[in-house]
Amino acid sequence: MPGGLILAALLPVMGQGGLEPFQQPERRQPEIFFPQAPRPGEWRKSIGLIFTTTPPELTEEVRVSVPAIDAIIQHGISRRWFVVGRLQTQIVQSNLLVGVRWARPLTDRMFLSVGDDMTGWFGGLKVKDVFNSQAYGFENLPNASLGYRLTKDLQITVRGETILDLYYRSEVGTLAIVDKKLQVNGGAISFILEQPFYGNRHVSLGFRAAYSNFNWQFWSLYDTFDRNLFYPQIIFGFIL
Amino acid sequence: MKSTYYVLVGLLFLSFLGCRKQYEAPIPYTFTNTPGAGRFTKPTRLAMEGVYGVTDGSDQFGEQVALKWTYVINGADTTHFLSIFTGVDVGFFNLQGESKADTLTLTGYWRKLVNTETGRTQLTVHMKHNGQLQRFSGRLAAGDTLVIDGTYGNKAEEPAKKLTLKYRRPLNPKPFAILAHRSGGRTSDLLSVSENSVEIVKMASRLGATGIEIDVRYTKDGIPILYHDNTLNLRLIQKNGLDGDIEKYTYQQLQTFVRLINGERIPTLEEVLETVINNTTLSFVWLDTKYIGPMDKVQAIQQKFLQRAAQAGRQLQIVIGLPTQGAVDAYKALPNKSNTPILCELDTAITQSLGARIWAPRWTLGPQTDEVLAMKARGHTVYVWTLDEPKFIEQFISEGRFEGILSNYSPVVAYYHYTGQ
Repeated sequence: MPGGLILAALLPVMGQGGLEPFQQPERRQPEIFFPQAPRPGEWRKSIGLIFTTTPPELTEEVRVSVPAIDAIIQHGISRRWFVVGRLQTQIVQSNLLVGVRWARPLTDRMFLSVGDDMTGWFGGLKVKDVFNSQAYGFENLPNASLGYRLTKDLQITVRGETILDLYYRSEVGTLAIVDKKLQVNGGAISFILEQPFYGNRHVSLGFRAAYSNFNWQFWSLYDTFDRNLFYPQIIFGFIL
Repeated sequence: MKSTYYVLVGLLFLSFLGCRKQYEAPIPYTFTNTPGAGRFTKPTRLAMEGVYGVTDGSDQFGEQVALKWTYVINGADTTHFLSIFTGVDVGFFNLQGESKADTLTLTGYWRKLVNTETGRTQLTVHMKHNGQLQRFSGRLAAGDTLVIDGTYGNKAEEPAKKLTLKYRRPLNPKPFAILAHRSGGRTSDLLSVSENSVEIVKMASRLGATGIEIDVRYTKDGIPILYHDNTLNLRLIQKNGLDGDIEKYTYQQLQTFVRLINGERIPTLEEVLETVINNTTLSFVWLDTKYIGPMDKVQAIQQKFLQRAAQAGRQLQIVIGLPTQGAVDAYKALPNKSNTPILCELDTAITQSLGARIWAPRWTLGPQTDEVLAMKARGHTVYVWTLDEPKFIEQFISEGRFEGILSNYSPVVAYYHYTGQ
């Protein structure tokens, strides 16, 4: 519901007038998730928050929407290729992603990208009488995005990802367990709008529905279910 | 037009929020609960208990399993069940002797608690004598080996896949407390009976437990009952229109209107302790203090049932768990603390200052070997809670110095303890 409320609040700030996107397909709006490569040598950046809601299977009657700082950086390396870096952090646990994307327009309004991201995450908790634990792991996320310019200043991106587990290590005190199996952890689909937000500032606003066996943000809950759980996420970022 | 886009995206968002999958794992077998053990006499049952190698079926159930008999008492009747703990995906079998069969036949089901896999199974006990499989009469000569073979199937299908178990060695005889969380296991693990119910207390031994932890709260009219969460919610109870804090409902209201997720009533603490003494072989009950307020009613019930257990000749410990400073304060406020065994979950200094005989730290602190050994040297018993990760359970049992583990997955604790050497 917070996503719906934010969407409603943003309705009045839609840009007005100007050329439609099909009249200027090479024009780039400030964008991060939209599958259009930055020009070669160009940097794109955003910073925001991503809220992940805990699944009831793990936290039972307690439902918490945990915010993480979400910083994204992209760099164009050719007309169609670009690289991506992303850091999500809650201080005590963080996830660093690097990836490469290939993007091309399909029509004047519709764009496509495919890519592959590697993530490494780390979490550590040392709390008296409660935790002396840490964990880290690596995941791979092959992904594809389809973007559509709805109006000249509103664009929507649908992004699909497969989440592959590569490595997991968990430590409590002097004990440690390791899982090195390459296995499909789950998948995710995201819907993201990018649009102006007061003056020249643009924002990304969306949600990601991850359906996976493990979510790095909840490593300290030690999920033992061999079932895919639903992790809804709200994404909000300022494009810098 | 633009607002249409937003409405469509908003609806899409809401539709995704509603796409949570409902998991189920119904047991594909109905027990007759016939008193006795059929043809499985006491010598036969004792001979069968042990660690077995798995030859057929190891891809599903692992390389070795542990077999243990348990029983439920009902008045003058005793009903025996065989449990097999597999160590793979928190797997276990629950079987009963087939009284109509001429051979030593067991029927029942298997289940893996980490997922929804389950199925029926049928096994027969043989004795391998001079290389030949023979009927087992309950007595083994030197060189004889027990072989249990049969079939298993998935879900309700007729068992057809081969399963063969060959006796390797006796169960690890070392004492170790296998404590089942929430009276036996979590509702979220899709067990056939609800957590914190009388029914799961009767089942706890079949899941490997030697003791249970139960969650105690008060009703509005001051009756101690068992319930984990703060509120009535659809995670634990069937839909009935009631919600909010459980403490705002009277015992009568809860009895009349509320049923746990598998149809059971919310039990009183007295009903559960009655069940432990009259129907089970459990030797330890950990009363987890979920309530805020005076402890005197729980103390009175604890003392009453400790006395009842002693009169019945049962070696039963009933301890009040102190997980928070609030619970410690409630304990300190008791006018008379004699005959009130407690378990402290806080640090070693508080545990010692309270005179608690049992210290129970969180497993997420690690093995804490120095602290555990020091507490044991001072005469304390040390348990760890609530450990569910199977690989860590294995390590805590093999490398830790704890004397028991509280877990939602008592079949895994049972597997690693009984197969330990």
